Amino acid sequence: MTWQQVVDDFKTWARVNSPWVVHFNTGSCNGCDIEILATLTPRYDLERFGVKLEGSPRHGDVLICTGPVTLQARDRLLRVYEQMPEPKFVIAVGSCAISGGVFQGCYNIIGHVDEVLPVDVYIPGCPPRPEAIIDGVVKLLGHLKDPAPQANIEEAN
Amino acid sequence: MDTIRDLVTLFFFPGGLFVLALGMSYEWVDRKLMARVQNRVGPRWFQPFADIAKLLTKEEVIPLDGNGLLFLGLPIVALAGALTSALYVPVAGWHPAYSFQGDLIVALYLLSLLTLCTGLAGANTSDHFSLVGATRTLTQLFSYEAPFLLAMLGPAVMAHTWQINEIIADADGRWMLFLQPIGFIVALIGLLGKLEMSPFNAPEAETEIVAGALTEYSGRGLALFRLGRHVELVIGLTMVAAFYMGGVNGLPMFVLKTLILLLGLVGIQSLVARLRIDQTVGLWWRWGSLLVLAQWLVLVVWEGVQA
Repeated sequence: MTWQQVVDDFKTWARVNSPWVVHFNTGSCNGCDIEILATLTPRYDLERFGVKLEGSPRHGDVLICTGPVTLQARDRLLRVYEQMPEPKFVIAVGSCAISGGVFQGCYNIIGHVDEVLPVDVYIPGCPPRPEAIIDGVVKLLGHLKDPAPQANIEEAN
Repeated sequence: MDTIRDLVTLFFFPGGLFVLALGMSYEWVDRKLMARVQNRVGPRWFQPFADIAKLLTKEEVIPLDGNGLLFLGLPIVALAGALTSALYVPVAGWHPAYSFQGDLIVALYLLSLLTLCTGLAGANTSDHFSLVGATRTLTQLFSYEAPFLLAMLGPAVMAHTWQINEIIADADGRWMLFLQPIGFIVALIGLLGKLEMSPFNAPEAETEIVAGALTEYSGRGLALFRLGRHVELVIGLTMVAAFYMGGVNGLPMFVLKTLILLLGLVGIQSLVARLRIDQTVGLWWRWGSLLVLAQWLVLVVWEGVQA
């Protein structure tokens, strides 16, 4: 184990144990947003894992996007993403953020979040339950710890 | 030998690393107690350490508008101020590392340096939220600072000295809390104002102005400001416990008394909602300063009678 490895491990440990999230609504119907807020309430208590909702994109590590990307939200979404410091991760919450959902093909929709930003984790559901959102965050943290992507695919099959 | 002693004092104990670790531990206690009051499980014990480590390893975005040198320098000055003040107070029940006549004033103003730097940091960008936060930070500084200072000077007047270890020695285990109850309450609530905790967290009200003066800070700068805040929490608790709760002799007494104080702070924090900035100023100038001045009147008359 080299010195560099120790430092990298320490960095990863810190990142995994302190993900601060920024919540952005890209055009959602508010269903997913309400579920995200429910996830942050004392009942689920995400502070156990060090998750904290931050208002400023400059403080955030994880950008949680809900809903299809509307034409209006696109510029703002990109701007919020650019304002976040590296390393940063994106979670797409809900069917609309994954595929456009019921809004697919609308005149005012660009499409799913993946068309605008590189997404790390998709959480399906309309809206996903808080447990599903927590599971998504845990998957992201597991991915940070061990960046090999094939593990989850095998598990799903 | 003196040089080695000075270096150890500055970097390891009681200044430097020890105060940083102590500050983060107390921050964890604060968050954990808050969580328990709110019927949550709360963060794990290493949470503040992980937060700071993560922030230190993150990218630091320096805004183009505003002075880059100030942007980078202010967090360092803020943390340095807080760490320096640790040298003049009895941290961990130890004797103050250094002391001279008037170090009480110096320590109190070194603590204010953090708030001042936060205000300047907010004013150093063209971001609206930072500017509003900076204005509120500085407004709040001017409202709680005078009553807090007067409250901390109460025990000093009784001891006829402005040197921290002499004040503690003069009190000799007497609990000033019962002799000067108003001063104690003002000092305790003033500490909440100094640390920008609820109900005095209007300067960083996340539902209104994102994150206040520190909105533009990411990575290292934010980590240093947060560390400064943690250190300030410990030093503030130490000072109030030492002055009003019969001194802090030895580590067990220190931990016990500061934790009892912290429990009080957590109680106030979780019971009271956020005050508007005008309500904060009104509270301090209409009630805080008047009450503490009344206390001073009693003190001065008492001293006159005794003389």
